[in-house]
Amino acid sequence: MKFLMCTDGESYAEDAIRFGGKLAKEMNADVSILHVRPPVSASSRIQLTTARKKLDQWDLELPGVEYLIRAKEILSEIGLTRPIAEKKEEEKISHVFRSGIQGATELHLIGQHGELVRLRMREGHPVDEVLEEADLGDYDLIIVGSRGHQGISKYFVGSTALRIADLAPCGVLIAKNIREDDNFLLCTDGSRLSEKAEIVGAEMAQALGAKMTVLAVAETEENREEASKLARRADMILSQMGVALQHKVRVGRPSEEIIDEAHDHDIVVMGASGSSAAKKFFLGSTPLKVIEYGVCPVLVIREKRGKIALEVTN
Amino acid sequence: MSFVAFLTKRKWFFIGLLIGAFLLSIPVPEGLSPVGMRALALVMVSFLFFITEPIPLPGVALFIAVSQVLLGLATPSAVAQSFMSDSIFFIMGSLMIATALVKQNLDKRIALAIVRVTGPCTGRVIFGLVAVSALLSSFIGEHTVAAMMLPVGVALINFSADDTRKVRNLSSAILLSIAYGAMVAGIGSPSGGTRNAIMLAYWKELFAVDITYFTWIQHAYPVVLLEIPFISFIIYRTFNPEIKDLSRAIAALRKNVRKEGRMTQQDWLTIGIFLLTVLMWMSISDTIGLGITALIGVLLYLVAGIVRWEDLNNNVNWGIILVYGGAISLGIIMKRTGVAEWISLAFLNGVAPLGISSGLPLLAAISFMTLSLAAFVSSGATVGILGPITLHIAELSGTSVIAAGFITVISSSFSFLTPVASPACNIMYGSGFLNRNDFLKAGWKLILVSFVLILLVSGGYWVFLDFN
Repeated sequence: MKFLMCTDGESYAEDAIRFGGKLAKEMNADVSILHVRPPVSASSRIQLTTARKKLDQWDLELPGVEYLIRAKEILSEIGLTRPIAEKKEEEKISHVFRSGIQGATELHLIGQHGELVRLRMREGHPVDEVLEEADLGDYDLIIVGSRGHQGISKYFVGSTALRIADLAPCGVLIAKNIREDDNFLLCTDGSRLSEKAEIVGAEMAQALGAKMTVLAVAETEENREEASKLARRADMILSQMGVALQHKVRVGRPSEEIIDEAHDHDIVVMGASGSSAAKKFFLGSTPLKVIEYGVCPVLVIREKRGKIALEVTN
Repeated sequence: MSFVAFLTKRKWFFIGLLIGAFLLSIPVPEGLSPVGMRALALVMVSFLFFITEPIPLPGVALFIAVSQVLLGLATPSAVAQSFMSDSIFFIMGSLMIATALVKQNLDKRIALAIVRVTGPCTGRVIFGLVAVSALLSSFIGEHTVAAMMLPVGVALINFSADDTRKVRNLSSAILLSIAYGAMVAGIGSPSGGTRNAIMLAYWKELFAVDITYFTWIQHAYPVVLLEIPFISFIIYRTFNPEIKDLSRAIAALRKNVRKEGRMTQQDWLTIGIFLLTVLMWMSISDTIGLGITALIGVLLYLVAGIVRWEDLNNNVNWGIILVYGGAISLGIIMKRTGVAEWISLAFLNGVAPLGISSGLPLLAAISFMTLSLAAFVSSGATVGILGPITLHIAELSGTSVIAAGFITVISSSFSFLTPVASPACNIMYGSGFLNRNDFLKAGWKLILVSFVLILLVSGGYWVFLDFN
């Protein structure tokens, strides 16, 4: 597994990194932390370089480097990376950054169990650069933090996170209002993609030692039987993996029911719906709504672009 | 896919060319010669390129040069001549001198001097930062001062709290006071900003008016001095910093700076050569030209071994010299083909119904026009494009060409609202320490104050100056 985590220095992004770090540690995933700094027009680059050199003489860090260093500290706090040796600590970290690695400035670290941790910095518009990075780096999961702490903003996700979720070439975890306990809600609609989502979600929940619930939503009362069949089938597949779980059926509009059910859970896992080939790479309206209006983190699973689809036989 | 991406990235370039082709194909409006029409098309397209920047700005300058020859507006050698003048030498020399100054570690000493005078009170430190940035930038250029003062500001912020996210207001206030201080003072003397050299070139080439270094200071410096207290006060009140006493940060700063030791011989020599250059600008530049004087300073730095050619080669923004060459060249073609006069007449006819015909109301209109444009375009391009027009407006309406020129240059430095226009704000924003909203918060108040201020100065002080 290979995770891409994004930071913009805000505390919600750091919560997301803390969570992603834990997940990576349990799943032995390689991790990249990416910060995208604002674009610089070519005509002012020389002046900016002068300013950066001056900051360097004063031993001051640029904001972007500072965010990455903080992320690095978080990762070593939760035990993903080894604490850096004493001697290296004195050396300034920005000197170790090397530029020009797949279009980014980067610093390598090695994790506790041999995971590769990269701190990467790109320059440009956040959404474009995150997607570019995801494309080049062949990641399995993008983790994006999102504002969502207090007041009315609790129910809204920044457009950056939403657009990344919509256009990413791989799975995306939109992390907002992260809580300590991990209680997974796996949503199924019977599509092949949602089956994959269940399996990926179950693997993660297993790694974290979390409880799981499978949820199937029937649009009308007549479909209830069909939905409960789906839930039971998911239950069956997952119990072959040796996972114990509950299953649940609700009736109503899928997005609303999922959001409602999610109040009692900590992470919603769903496929990036759409059974037709054309829709596969774009998010269906249900996941987008859950991301936007739900109150807990949402993990959206999609077929990795350019990869052979994962066949699930029952 | 990649072709579509290419098209979207360069869309303004092609839109610009289409607009140009359209302007060339429609009938020539009254009062404009066919040659003038071609020049007008070039002006409009270049203007669009300056705003949207579909290709790098130095590329736009090249576009201006190439188009002049292709449209038959000027001969190749005439274009080359219009690109290079004493004003361009002046810009080049000033940028090189600034490089020599930045290379020395004078910033730490400046920082220490500021806090020694102001003491730990946040309000006074902000005033000190605005005042020192302004005084320095009026002679050595705003981008240099911004680069030198940025670490001072960041150090103060970092030392004042463990988590800088808790002192967001303080950090915005400190960095904006440096940016705004450096920005408004760029017009203090001709060497303060590259756009000043453009205005000097226009006065000289288009109207044969010679403004000396000293006359410039006499007219413009009072504006700088008046702005300093307003900027500090408005920034302090708008952001209301979380920490009112910076003793902790100042103690840390002192400790950091003490390591530097005493001023070296080289430091003194750097300052000495700079002061000598300013002295020459004030005295003999009337006869030998500002540009040549600046080049004498550069030569002295090279002879003394304070800068190596590699430093100049890497740290001078050579592209910007080309941009200003292009802007001046465009201004000259606007004058020669009658485009400037045509636009000016249209402008005067447009504002006539408002009761604006000459004198102070007209200057107010010019200032307003410049302020609006400077919110979107770099201040150099603003002066480059508007200069020939505002000067012609003044001449046609019988208003002082000198006053109109100063109003244009000074208003172009009041780009408080966005980080695009001024190099100083651009450095702060581009380094990632400020976001766009910070500029809006204090900017609109400062624009109003500055607008009133410049009108008072032009209506009172300048009239008094020219009377004597």
